[in-house]
Amino acid sequence: MKTHEIALGAKNIYKSYGSVNANEGIDLTIDRGSIHALVGENGAGKSTLMRIFQGIEQPDFGTILIDGKPKKITNPKQALKMGIGMVHQEFMMAPDLTLLENLILGDEPIIKSWGIFPKINWNLAEKEGNELASKIGVTIDWRRKANDAPVHILQFVEIIRLLRKGCRIIILDEPTAVLAPTQVEELFNLLRKLSHSGATIIFISHKINEVIAIADHVSVMRRGKISFSNNINNTSIEEIAFHIVGDNQKKLTISKNSKNSLGNTLLNIDNLCSKTIKKSQQLRDISLKLKAGQIIGIAGVSGNGQIELLECIVGLRKISKGKIYLQEKNITNISVFNKRKLGISFVSSDRANEGLCLNSSIENNAIAGSHRNSPIFNGYILNRKIIQQIALERLNNLSIKYGNIHENASSLSGGNQQKLVFAREISNKPSILIIAQPTRGVDLNGIKAIHNLIIEFASQGGAVLMTSEEIEELQLLSDKIFIISNGRFVGSVEGQNSDIKEIGKMMIMDANKNV
Amino acid sequence: MYNSYLQRGLGFALPLLAAFLISAIVLILIGENPIKIYSMLVSESFGSSRRTAATLSASTPLLFTAVATAICFRSGAFNVGVEGAFLIGGLGGVFCGFILPVQLGILIIPIAIIFAGLLGGIWLYFPGYLLAKYEVDEVVSTLMLNFIAIAITGYLINGPLLSPISGNNVTPLVHDIAKLPRLLPPSTLHAGFILGLICVFMYSLWCNRTPSGLESALIGLNQRFSNAVGISVQKTLILVMVLSGIIGGIGGASHGLGQLYRFSDGFSPGYGFTGMAVALLARNSPVGIIAGSILFGALASAGTTIQLFSDIPLDLINIIQGTVMIFAVIELTRISFSRKLKVSI
Repeated sequence: MKTHEIALGAKNIYKSYGSVNANEGIDLTIDRGSIHALVGENGAGKSTLMRIFQGIEQPDFGTILIDGKPKKITNPKQALKMGIGMVHQEFMMAPDLTLLENLILGDEPIIKSWGIFPKINWNLAEKEGNELASKIGVTIDWRRKANDAPVHILQFVEIIRLLRKGCRIIILDEPTAVLAPTQVEELFNLLRKLSHSGATIIFISHKINEVIAIADHVSVMRRGKISFSNNINNTSIEEIAFHIVGDNQKKLTISKNSKNSLGNTLLNIDNLCSKTIKKSQQLRDISLKLKAGQIIGIAGVSGNGQIELLECIVGLRKISKGKIYLQEKNITNISVFNKRKLGISFVSSDRANEGLCLNSSIENNAIAGSHRNSPIFNGYILNRKIIQQIALERLNNLSIKYGNIHENASSLSGGNQQKLVFAREISNKPSILIIAQPTRGVDLNGIKAIHNLIIEFASQGGAVLMTSEEIEELQLLSDKIFIISNGRFVGSVEGQNSDIKEIGKMMIMDANKNV
Repeated sequence: MYNSYLQRGLGFALPLLAAFLISAIVLILIGENPIKIYSMLVSESFGSSRRTAATLSASTPLLFTAVATAICFRSGAFNVGVEGAFLIGGLGGVFCGFILPVQLGILIIPIAIIFAGLLGGIWLYFPGYLLAKYEVDEVVSTLMLNFIAIAITGYLINGPLLSPISGNNVTPLVHDIAKLPRLLPPSTLHAGFILGLICVFMYSLWCNRTPSGLESALIGLNQRFSNAVGISVQKTLILVMVLSGIIGGIGGASHGLGQLYRFSDGFSPGYGFTGMAVALLARNSPVGIIAGSILFGALASAGTTIQLFSDIPLDLINIIQGTVMIFAVIELTRISFSRKLKVSI
C-alpha cells in the first residue's frame, strides 16, 4: 500500500464471446499489499477478467502485467505458479474429507518411508496448516470434516490453501455472500492481516458498504470497461453506487410519449413472503398492485430478491406466506401452466438456460408453451405445418433474423435470441408480462425494438412488471419504480422524473443497517 | 435436434466401425482371418431368406426394448429397468395365454398383450414416481427392480405357476390359439415382429406429432426451460417411465406368445440391455432403432451358427456388442460435454 508497486495489472484487455463483448479495453492496476475491491453488475465483465487473470481464458487483445512485467498466463496451473489464486463462491472442497486432507489434497507433503510407496507426512501437513493459520490470525480444527465445518471456516481453509501454494495475489469472489455479519467481521480482520503481510487481495462484491469498510481502492466495472477507479478515502457510497448503475454514456433513444390511462388492477400482490432456498434471497412482505396499461419497474442491487419475486409471481418459486390475486381470483399456488393459461407471461433473466432451450430448434422455441393450444394441437395430433407457419409468423412479427427455422436456437445472435423469447411470450395475448432483464446482452437496435414492444404492449392494456440492472431503462419505461433491498421494498419513485442518485441511495439503504 | 442425415448416419456408423475394428484385432490375435469371419457373419445372417428370417426373429424383442429405452433416454431419464418390465410383462402375457379359457379364441392374444402392457407400466410407474417426486436416482431404482423382477418371476414359475407336467422352472405352454402366428415357417419369425414395427412407428409418431412427445424431448434437453414454459417436468417423467414399462411389457408378451410359448428361467438373455445398446447407437431415432435391432439380431443369430462351424466362440459377439455400446456412449458424452461448455460461457 505504501510502496505502490504494481502486483497485478491489465492493459487494454479485450475479450469477446461471439457477438458479446465481455471486456472492452480494461486498464487496471492493483498495488501490492492492497485490498482492491471490484464491483459491478452481473454481466459487467468481472468474471471474464478474473478468468483471464487465472489463465482460464486468453484475452483477444491486450496484456497482463505481473510485478509490473508483461506476462502470458496460459492455464490455471501457471497462474498458481505465478502466485495468483482465487476463492470461488462455491467452495472447492471434498465434503467427506477432513479440513487437513482438503488442505493438502493434490500437493501432499511426502515421506519416502515405505520404499516405492510414499507416505503422507501428516505432522508436517498440520504444522504447515497451523503456521499459515496463525499468520492470518485464525485457529482451525484440522480434524473436522469439511461438511461439518461452518462456511467461514471453509473459506479460511480455502485461503490458507492458496497461501500454502505460494499465492501472493488472492481473488475473492463475493466472499461475504454466504456469511453472517459476525463472520464477515472475522473475514475482514483476516484480510487486513493478510494485506499487512504483503499479500494482494482482489475483493469482488455487490455490497458497497462492505467495500467501503474493507478496501483500500475500488474499481467499478460497467459494460466491459472500468468506469471508475479511486482510492477508497476519496470516494463515497453514493459515488460508487452512481457509477455502478448509470454512467450516461449511452443515451437510450426512445421515450414514452404519453402516459397510458390506467385500467383496473390486474395483479394484486399481498404481503408476499418466500423462504431462502440454497442461496436465494428471501422475500419479506412484498405488496404491490399492477394495473392494466401500467409498467412497474423493480430496482435493486443484484441478488436482493428481484428475480425471486418475479419467480414467485410466475409460479417457479414457492410462496411461504401472502397471496397473489389476478383480478379477483386467488392464483397464489397454481401451477406455471395454469398461470400462463390465465395470461401471465415470463421473460427470464437467464436466457441461455431458462428463457430458451438453446439446443432445440428455433421452431420449437417459438411455439413451446403453445403446443397444447389449437390449432397447433387439434386434440389428437400436432400439426407440423401449422407449427411452422405459426413459428414463422412469430419470428417475422418481431423481425428476428434467423438462418433456418430447424436449426438450434443457439445459432441466433444474443439480440435475436432475446427477441425470440419475447416473440413467444407475447404471442398468446397475455394480460401480464413479467420481465427480468429485458435487454441484457442485446445490441442497441435490439434494445430499441424490445423497448418499443414493451411500450406497445402496455398501451394496448397489458400490464408489465419488470426488473433490470439498467436503472435508466427502468426510468425510461416505468410508470413507477419500487426499490428492493434484502428482499423487501424500501421505497418507490415515479418512473420518468426520478433521480438516479436517489434510487441508488435507496438500493443500498437496507444493506447499510446490516453491517 | 437439427442434425443432417450425414451427421446422424456417422453417429450410427462410427461406433460400429470402431467395434468391428477392435474385434478384428482380437480375431487376428487369436489367429483367425477377420475378413473371413465377417463375411461368414454376413452370409449367416442375411445369406438366404431362412437366415434373414432368423435374423429378424432375433431382432423382434430388441425392437420393443429399444423403443422402451429410447422413450426414457430422450427425456433425460436413464431408465435401465426395461429388462424387468420385459420379464414381468412376459410372464403376465404367458399367464393369460394358458389360464384364460380356450373358448375366448383369438381374443386371448389382445387381452394378454394389454395385460402385459399394464403390468409393465405399473412396474415402472414406481421408479418414475420416486424420480419425479423425490429425485430418487432412476438408474439405481430401475436396476434394482430388475433383480426383483427376476426373483418374482423365478418364484412364480417354481411355485404357483409351475407347469404340472414339466420339470422345473417353466410355466405350462400357452393354448395353441394364443400363439402368435408364424410369418415364414419353418423359421421362428412371428407376428411379434410386425407388432414391434408398429411400436417403432407409434414411437416415431409420438415423438414428432404429440404434445407429450415434444414435452418429453424438451425436458430431456432443458428442465428449467420446460418448467418456465409451463411443462410439468414431474408429470412428464412419470409418463415416459410408464410408457417405457408398457412397451417393455408388450415386448415380453410378444416374446412369450410368439417365440417360447411359455415362460421359463432365462426367458430374456438380457434383451433389455441389448435394447439399451440399440437405443444408444440409434440416438433414439426410430429408423436407427430398426436398423440397430436388425443388426444386433443378426449378430445374435449368426453368432450361434458361427460357433458351430468355426472355432470362434460366441463371446466374440459379446465383444462386438460391448464395444459398440462403449463407443456409442462416448459419442453421447461428447455431445453433452460440448453442450455444457457452451452453457458455461
